[in-house]
Amino acid sequence: MSDSVFFAIAPLLVVSLGGLLLMMTEVFATRRADADGPSSDLAMGTFITMLAGAITAFALWLVGPDNLAGAKAVAPYLLVDRFTLFFDMVLCLGGGIAALLAGGYLPEHKLDRGEFYPLLIFSTAGAMVLASAGDLLSLFIGLETMSLGVYAMVGFRRGSMRSTEAAIKYFLLGSFAAALLMYGGALLYGVTGKTALAGIGAAIRAGVSSTDWGILLLSMVLILAGLAFKVSAVPFHMWTPDAYEGAPTPATSFMAVAVKSAAFAMMLRVLISVFGDPLSTSWGTGWPPVVALLAVLTMTVANLVAGRQSSVKRMLAYSSVAHAGYVLVGVVALVEEPGTAQGSIMFYLLSYTVSTAGAFGALILCGSRGKEAVSYEDLAGLGKRHPAVALIFSFFLLSLAGMPPTAGFFGKLYIVSSSIGAGLHTLAVLLVLNSVLAAYYYLRVMEYMYMREPAAGAPIAVPMRSGYVRAALAICAVAVLVLGLWPTSSLSMAIDAALALR
Amino acid sequence: MLSQLTSQFPANDFTLLAAVLLLPLIGAFVCGIFGKRLGKEGVRLMALSAVFGSFIASVVTFIMVAAAPHTATKAARLSWKAWHWFDVTGRGRSVVPIDVSFSVDALSATMMLIVTGVGFLIHLYSTGYMAKDEGFYRFFAYLNLFIFSMLVLILGDNLLVLFVGWEGVGLCSYLLIGFWFDDEKKAAAGKKAFIANRIGDFGLLVAMAMLVYYAGTLSWDGLEAAQSAMAEQRTVWSASYLREFPDWLVWLRDLVTPEQPVRMMVATMVALALFIGCIGKSAQIPLFVWLPDAMAGPTPVSALIHAATMVTAGIYLVCRTSFIFALSPLAMAVVAGTGALTALFAASIAFAQTDLKKVLAYSTVSQLGFMFIGVGVGAFAAGFFHVITHAFFKGCLFLCAGSVIHAMHARVHDETASQDMRNMGGLRKYMPITHMTFLVSCLAIAGFPLTSGFWSKDELLFKAFTNTIVPLNPNIITPPLWYGQMIYAIGIVAAVGTAFYMFRAYFMTFHGDFRGWSIVAGFKPPAHDDHHDDDHADHDEPLEGPVPHESPRSMTVPLIILAFFAAIGGFVYAEPLHQVWPLEMFVSLEHFWSPVFATASKFVTTRPGSEAMMWPLLGVGAGVSLFGIGAAYWVYIVQKGEPAKAFVARAGGLHRLVLDKWRIDELYDATILGLIDAMGDIAAQCDRWIVDGIIAKLTSGVVKVTGHALRLLHTGRVQVYAASMVVGTAVIGWYVFTPHAEATIDARRVRPQGQVRFEAAAGHGYRYRWHIDGETVPDIFSGRRNFSMQLERCEQKTAVLTIKNAFDREAVTTYTQCRESKPGCCKPTDTPAPKKEALLGRVDGGVR
Repeated sequence: MSDSVFFAIAPLLVVSLGGLLLMMTEVFATRRADADGPSSDLAMGTFITMLAGAITAFALWLVGPDNLAGAKAVAPYLLVDRFTLFFDMVLCLGGGIAALLAGGYLPEHKLDRGEFYPLLIFSTAGAMVLASAGDLLSLFIGLETMSLGVYAMVGFRRGSMRSTEAAIKYFLLGSFAAALLMYGGALLYGVTGKTALAGIGAAIRAGVSSTDWGILLLSMVLILAGLAFKVSAVPFHMWTPDAYEGAPTPATSFMAVAVKSAAFAMMLRVLISVFGDPLSTSWGTGWPPVVALLAVLTMTVANLVAGRQSSVKRMLAYSSVAHAGYVLVGVVALVEEPGTAQGSIMFYLLSYTVSTAGAFGALILCGSRGKEAVSYEDLAGLGKRHPAVALIFSFFLLSLAGMPPTAGFFGKLYIVSSSIGAGLHTLAVLLVLNSVLAAYYYLRVMEYMYMREPAAGAPIAVPMRSGYVRAALAICAVAVLVLGLWPTSSLSMAIDAALALR
Repeated sequence: MLSQLTSQFPANDFTLLAAVLLLPLIGAFVCGIFGKRLGKEGVRLMALSAVFGSFIASVVTFIMVAAAPHTATKAARLSWKAWHWFDVTGRGRSVVPIDVSFSVDALSATMMLIVTGVGFLIHLYSTGYMAKDEGFYRFFAYLNLFIFSMLVLILGDNLLVLFVGWEGVGLCSYLLIGFWFDDEKKAAAGKKAFIANRIGDFGLLVAMAMLVYYAGTLSWDGLEAAQSAMAEQRTVWSASYLREFPDWLVWLRDLVTPEQPVRMMVATMVALALFIGCIGKSAQIPLFVWLPDAMAGPTPVSALIHAATMVTAGIYLVCRTSFIFALSPLAMAVVAGTGALTALFAASIAFAQTDLKKVLAYSTVSQLGFMFIGVGVGAFAAGFFHVITHAFFKGCLFLCAGSVIHAMHARVHDETASQDMRNMGGLRKYMPITHMTFLVSCLAIAGFPLTSGFWSKDELLFKAFTNTIVPLNPNIITPPLWYGQMIYAIGIVAAVGTAFYMFRAYFMTFHGDFRGWSIVAGFKPPAHDDHHDDDHADHDEPLEGPVPHESPRSMTVPLIILAFFAAIGGFVYAEPLHQVWPLEMFVSLEHFWSPVFATASKFVTTRPGSEAMMWPLLGVGAGVSLFGIGAAYWVYIVQKGEPAKAFVARAGGLHRLVLDKWRIDELYDATILGLIDAMGDIAAQCDRWIVDGIIAKLTSGVVKVTGHALRLLHTGRVQVYAASMVVGTAVIGWYVFTPHAEATIDARRVRPQGQVRFEAAAGHGYRYRWHIDGETVPDIFSGRRNFSMQLERCEQKTAVLTIKNAFDREAVTTYTQCRESKPGCCKPTDTPAPKKEALLGRVDGGVR
């Protein structure tokens, strides 16, 4: 049994089959007219599916991927290693929290249609394929499976111009980026004659003929551009605020956590397996200076713009761009400090997942239909009117700002220490300065919640009541606190996972 | 029984500490979250049982520590590691693990008894004192949280866990001082405390960083073992630190460059940094200003936090790290000197205060000074014993003050008036229990023979007179021999002052006639009795009121217990008595603590013949207290305060100065705060002109221009997004398309052998050509990245690197090197800046 292929890719299978099952159930289910909408049971079903996926991944972690004989049958298309399993857990966590948030959000805002949940599940499955892909073909399939679901989720609010516009923009630009990525991949195939990432990497390491250097460099440029789009690095980020703002908030949360994590997983795989040789990682023609520049631009621009937003959701969108910049600093450090840098990136992604999902969830909880929390002014005085909601929102904001004892603090600490270990002092200083900038707009939310009174006659946010959303927030809050107080075991997991890739 | 307990809680996994710590935390959580719904009865039950449970567990712990096997030099330590927290990188990339772990030894076991025991009594007292307050549940949540934080501080097994508790008690102190935050002044007092503490905490952070670097550990055991690292001499300031000054700042460099490198012992630096933290938390000169203001909080808070426990954390920290302090006679002298000055200075302020709580506050500052005298002269046990006795008598004094204020509130609701001793007097008739307990505690603090304060204060002053700190080697800076005697003399003067001003407060409050209102038997409060119409200032006719009442039992019981310990608590230490009558069954506390201070004690010696000095100095101590009490009696009872009035009339200026606390606050306002204000103004101007004026205008200008351009082009925004992606891709492409001629320089052998080595950066498709400027240029490019150049003495040569990349584009960089075999033979501007090398590990050359 344990050497079966199905066993090796069990997390993916569990999630996909669960998705199919839920979709079928929804198709054939009949509801009385007065019953609750599909969210009432689909959300829980989706969450359980994701939870099952995460638990299966954890079980495989305990078994040890090396003991899975079946894994060889799917290699190199799907690689089953600790890296994959770690990301499977992170992605399932992000997807599961998004499902819980949707369970509260969709009925509240009269968007309660069943197709959201299958989209969410299949998108997560695509992300899991992407994180485990060891071949350009499977990588592309995973990327598109994930993206198509997300495009549809962004445009889920069909009646809203803004939502539709965001979906179209995201779709167009996403296709553009996918084309760049694919073109780069095609050139790589042309130069090396291989599609497996490890094979391409070995071919580059061995050296290509002198006429092919130019093509190789061009493919690297195109692939870097495509990756930069997916992780929404400046200047490839312009779709992000629009898409994040237009999408229903659970979908936004899913994009901010799961899609971004999967994109970083893809980036790590490609940069390490394909472009991991000394020439590609040199500061002369390699990717580190490019990624360093992207990191600086991403952190700085995103933080400056985020501070000028009047909409909290848009601010959070820019903040997620800025966080991608912090992670990119860790990516640059990969060259000198492969183990700790990658561990720190993965820990950061985990802590970022729970903090961001929590922040979006808290934003959802702050508003109800017709009385949504959109701008800072909507939140004025929330600390007095609804102390519990304001408190939990503040908690996640503090984690995003990197205050101890939350997960965000250790995430940043590890990134900074690994970049200092790699000798990137300038980048480390810029990161710290940027997190000071970021503290401004996070604390501003708290200022409005606790120190401002709403203007007379101004619309105020009235928190919704939903067990699902509360459950999601409770999960996030516990995770943020546990990661903040007890970061070592998850960090050592992340480092194990990192080493597995090398 | 004990063996069962020992098998249940082994010394290396002492989980009983979890119970001690978690009970107050649970109490804080329940009171804080559900307090409103629980109601006052529920909150009272929760808060009291949490602390009492913690107290019981502490007692068990104390017994187990006492019974645990230990030797004269190795203290018994029961520890519990909760979890591994994180790692930090130490010197030479070593990994320094930081655990969330707790441990208890003789010192912390005693302190923990005080915190939970006195803490419980004050909790009990508060249930009466705060009974009518609306924030009842909030108060107890904070108070429980304080107990938890204080226990973390005491039980933390390393400096970082201690720091967590240290910050926690700071937070609770802030919350409780500003408990009635509607009052602007009280909120400001809370802020002041917080800021003064933050200044000190900075020192603690610096100390931690130095310890991680030099000792490679933060845990107590590890630090104690790292004595050789602590005793190292380190260069802290030398000319080589200033090499990289820009040329136009050379005059500044010459100004601050020392002749000889300044060297300091690691232990001195660490100890002084730690002591900065102690100055803040334990309110010593110059950071003591927050403590008197902290009396804005409810009186039980003043008793618990600002007298008995939190403010003594500084002394605890010095005792805890005694093995570091003892290494450095200089740091010890600073500790003792600061303590002595504070003791005297604060006592002088207390002479003139009329607010009962202010007198007690300054007396606390003064007593904390005494404790620092003790630990600063190497009498760690004596200094720490004063912490214990002080917790009893000062806790009791504050609670008595609270009881008096509670009585005054019957008719006087104004804060200042109800605490003013000029409105009290004669209360001994109406409040017998408060009176008796106050008197006992006053005797204790004045050092009346045989009371607890007598034993502790005399012991530490005696040690100040006789102790000297022996330096590890003769190069270490040591204070002069008369330093100890000087400290002793200052201490004696401060002790006379203490006895005098405490009995001044006692006589003014409890003797003479009651001056608060005219007492009317069977007085009924007016129907419209609210808080506004009772202010004295509004009335011309004398205020009438009922007979002042004694406080309820929940308040008097803690008073009696504390006064009992204040009276007899000294006998558990009473070193002179133990020397006369050594008892087998009754071991002195000093003996119990001595293993903890074993390492530090090796550096402390007593001067010869000091044994003979013990009884005479004991007599001096007793005489001093009797003299102070007698003087106060003569001035305030025999002469009815006339001499004091005469003094005020004759030296009004001095009196006003003392009354205004020597105008220290005003001094800080004028200097430090003025400086900060000025800096703030400059920053505000920068903000207005640079940020708002240039940056904001620029940004909005750019946005406007972009928007205008877009409108002109009639494009939808998505095209712009795509265009920016294209631009981004193009920039990446341009970077890869452009060759980057860069090389790392290895100039380590340039001085001895004249050889410089270069290694050009690698890149896809790069080909290299190296030559020396002025020599023939080879016409072929090769894959050879290395190059070396030979220099004669004082010769200067330039190496030229040409790179051709995959797109056949060329880039050139030159590197000029000079062999500086004697100073000044190379022109300084021609050497490449070493800065970039340090920054990125390589040198960028410009592309030509």
